Amino acid sequence: MAQPASRLSHGRFTPLKFLAPSVLALLAVGIWPTIFALVTSLREYKLTRPRSGFPFVGLDNYQAVLTDATFWETLARTAGFYLTVMPVQLALGLAIALMLHRPGWGAVRSLLRVSLVVPLATTYAVVGLIGRLVFNRDFGVANQFASWLGLPGLDWLGNPHGAFAAIALMDIWQWTPFCALIFLAGLSMVPNEIEEAARLETKSHWALLRHVQLPYLLPGLTAVLILRSADILKLFDMVFTMTRGGPGAATELVSIYIQRVGFRIFDMGTASAQAILLLVLTIMLSRLFIRVFYREIER
Amino acid sequence: MNPRNLGKMLHLVGLLALLAFTLFPFYWMVSSSLKEQTDLLAAPPVWTFVPTLSHYAEIWQDDTVSKALLNSLIVAACTTTLAIALGAPAAYALARFDFRGKKDLWFWFISNRMISPIVLALPVYLMAQSAGLLDTHLVLILIYLSFCLPIVVWICTDQFRSIPPDLEQAARLDHANQWDIFWRIYLPLGLPGIAVSAIFSFIFSWNELLYALVLTRSDVQTAPVIATSYMSGYELPWGKIMATGTVIVLPVTVFALLVSRHMVRGLTMGATK
Amino acid sequence: MKTPLKATALAALGAIAIACAVPPTPAQAQSAWAIDKAAAPLKGTKIKVMFLDRPGYRAIIKLLPEFEKQTGIKVNYEIVPYENAREKQVLNFTSKGDLTMALVDLVWIGEFAESGWIVPIDTYSKDAAITDPNLNLKGFFPLLLNAFGSWDGKVYGLPFDNYSGLMFYNRCMLKESGFDQPPQTWDELKNVYAPKLTKADKKQFAFALQSLRGETQSADSFMRFLWPWGGSLLDKDFKSNLMAPGSQTGLKFRQDLMKYMPPGVVSYDHAEAVNALAQGQVAMITEWSAFYGTLTDPKTSKLGDCLAVAPEPAGPAGRLPALGGFSLAVASQASPAQQKASWLFIQWATSEAIAKPYVEAGGVSGRMAVYGDPAIQAKYKYVKPMVESWQKGVPEYRPRFPAWASLTEIVAEFGSKMMLGEAPVDQGAKEIGTRIETVLKKEGYYDGKKKKLQ
Repeated sequence: MAQPASRLSHGRFTPLKFLAPSVLALLAVGIWPTIFALVTSLREYKLTRPRSGFPFVGLDNYQAVLTDATFWETLARTAGFYLTVMPVQLALGLAIALMLHRPGWGAVRSLLRVSLVVPLATTYAVVGLIGRLVFNRDFGVANQFASWLGLPGLDWLGNPHGAFAAIALMDIWQWTPFCALIFLAGLSMVPNEIEEAARLETKSHWALLRHVQLPYLLPGLTAVLILRSADILKLFDMVFTMTRGGPGAATELVSIYIQRVGFRIFDMGTASAQAILLLVLTIMLSRLFIRVFYREIER
Repeated sequence: MNPRNLGKMLHLVGLLALLAFTLFPFYWMVSSSLKEQTDLLAAPPVWTFVPTLSHYAEIWQDDTVSKALLNSLIVAACTTTLAIALGAPAAYALARFDFRGKKDLWFWFISNRMISPIVLALPVYLMAQSAGLLDTHLVLILIYLSFCLPIVVWICTDQFRSIPPDLEQAARLDHANQWDIFWRIYLPLGLPGIAVSAIFSFIFSWNELLYALVLTRSDVQTAPVIATSYMSGYELPWGKIMATGTVIVLPVTVFALLVSRHMVRGLTMGATK
Repeated sequence: MKTPLKATALAALGAIAIACAVPPTPAQAQSAWAIDKAAAPLKGTKIKVMFLDRPGYRAIIKLLPEFEKQTGIKVNYEIVPYENAREKQVLNFTSKGDLTMALVDLVWIGEFAESGWIVPIDTYSKDAAITDPNLNLKGFFPLLLNAFGSWDGKVYGLPFDNYSGLMFYNRCMLKESGFDQPPQTWDELKNVYAPKLTKADKKQFAFALQSLRGETQSADSFMRFLWPWGGSLLDKDFKSNLMAPGSQTGLKFRQDLMKYMPPGVVSYDHAEAVNALAQGQVAMITEWSAFYGTLTDPKTSKLGDCLAVAPEPAGPAGRLPALGGFSLAVASQASPAQQKASWLFIQWATSEAIAKPYVEAGGVSGRMAVYGDPAIQAKYKYVKPMVESWQKGVPEYRPRFPAWASLTEIVAEFGSKMMLGEAPVDQGAKEIGTRIETVLKKEGYYDGKKKKLQ
């Protein structure tokens, strides 16, 4: 992007001065652990076998992970989870953001805006426990709702499909507000006069969305997609406290598997390899999202 | 009813439905914390009951919970402040300046959030132990920075990018330098984004469990660690857990309340008019 | 500790405990060894251990001030959930942390011993200056000392928090259906008792088996149905024994028994199974002895007098109940002074002298003598069946070698899949067998490199 002389003039080092503190901070706390994980993934690193040393084994761990049926199973399951919750969170989040953005009913809107924080603010492990209470077959309120609607009660957590649905519902509850807030921030960037003019021109909400608001939502959308992808691949606390990954393996997401390998079997070499592979996956997905969705806000 | 009023009614219904959806599990947690154990385990669940404060009394019995809340508050507040202080300028640079590798740098910021903390826990633990920082606030603040800073940078970059550059012209005519422009123009106009990223940063620091479990012993235990410590595997003291959960959520909600007035839409164009 | 009032109360309790613990036995009166004398050179030493949030630990915490007063040694403890106890200790030991004692679960003893993290007690029991002449290792139930205190012929830890699998049942429900006695064998339970006790329309079931994936599935659910039928996880060559007739019969029995259990039992952890009995939904459970407290507390249980305790039913191969427990061992990473101080603490905590106050404070002692006391027998219904269970048992009920950490995950995964019907019994057993053999091969058990210790 060429710099017209009248636009921005800054010394060569000015960006550095603005960026350096944060970059250095991240490097200090982030780089060494990541390098450690990378190196560990190339070694046999069993914490509970200190006497066998930690020999260098090259790509053996990666090979083991890529040929591990359970790894692919959990990854597939996580992908299924992702495809279940993401569309709902995006659609619902957008709906919430639009409703909050639209003028009218100011008090209720403020109340909703603040209450959006509540699901996010609830500790993940506690969300899992609330889920256990709500979806319990006997004293859970979910079955009570079902009975009011005339449906039979389900053994949510004892049933593979029920458990999956239950964790999906809790995840949607907790993270839709996140999407909503990001979309709301995007909507609030639309310049007033453009939006007002557009509202006068057309009654169609859809047209308003597509032509005026969408460009401001795209950066937020990309952000949400990338962050949520990374988060779902890391999702652990809520699912663990709710189902422990069960029944059977119905809710064993990839992060629960990594925890099993890394913190129960303490096979850090394999766990590191798994994490690095997931990191690569996340990066690839992110770049894909950026390419497809991200547009700089045109001025 | 004319379409305009219908629209308004639908709007209201929508808002109220969302309010119910957002708050229901929270309501359930709070009401469970006020139920006697027998009411909690009643099948089918009861909606009216005689409330009891015994669970709250139980958790306030010793100062574990209040200490944990204080620890969480210190860590979250410091991390958020630090993240904004470091991240906002960085976001400004990424939004306004041009230099080689800008896109990659921006992506690098975000990628810090991508790797599974389970695998980083061990090296972080070893690092902290050799630096003698185990069980201190500082170590948690530093580690949490690694995932709060990216959020701040991301959200603020977009926010700053959307501010029209011609606003700067006036300042430039006054021979303002970059820092002044940032401080006096971008920061105030970028408040919605900064507010949102502050809330997220606070929340994520507040809720973080894994590192807190691994890096703290008894001095600096944070609220989530205490909440999960009640799950010793055998018994599940539901009332106590729900009471702790409620108590943990409140400070964050208050913080969000305070900050959310800046989230209100309003890029004032008044600066150049 | 936290408030003056609390400290006073604890001190008072400690004083009472001391008073109760000093009916002078001739041996004690004659012995010149006294704990305070032994501890004199170690005064002021700080020792650290991890505790769980369970009755046995709360009991010893109540009695702690007495120890600290007598010896001047400060005992620091960190209470962690069982889920995190092993991982925190492993992290601590591998990075030379601050723990001076190890809390060793039955299934961790092989791992901790072979990694060199715990010290065999003979290092210190030879030293008369810090060893109680009344230590009396023979006074422990041999099964307990062997199962979670010893490895490869050496004693590493003393049994501290002891469990036995017991059958808790609702006497009233049994009587209603015409039974005066609890079932003696599993066959009886399934064929005679269960059909009469299961009334699905009233949401009443005969039995509940805690089977949540995790250690609950491996230890409580899966292993329980191997041994009484003559099956086992491994044969003497450490190959899978799950295809043997005994194992297969047992596992098929478990599948069959499921029709008398509440649906969703695969997601039941201990809390749910105990609650099912406590709320009157289920007639019988086989659970750890530690739940006696929960089942007798009116705040958590509706059973009242209807609660009865019996040993676990026997199978064709005999009565082989579940076995579990924790021992305390000295950590090798501690300094010599800390190790000695820890040794003193471990002896004290598991001594015959404080066994009675320990039991009365809610603990379950591993000492045989204390259960001979008629007062204790009368007060705690679980004593008789538990002592009976500890007479004969299998120390390797769950293999205690280091590989157990990997094996339990495999068993838990497929054990629960079997119960869900996702894998038939023989296929699931074969899958488990293949996988555990892969693990054991990598560990070196098949090429003679490693001693076959379970």
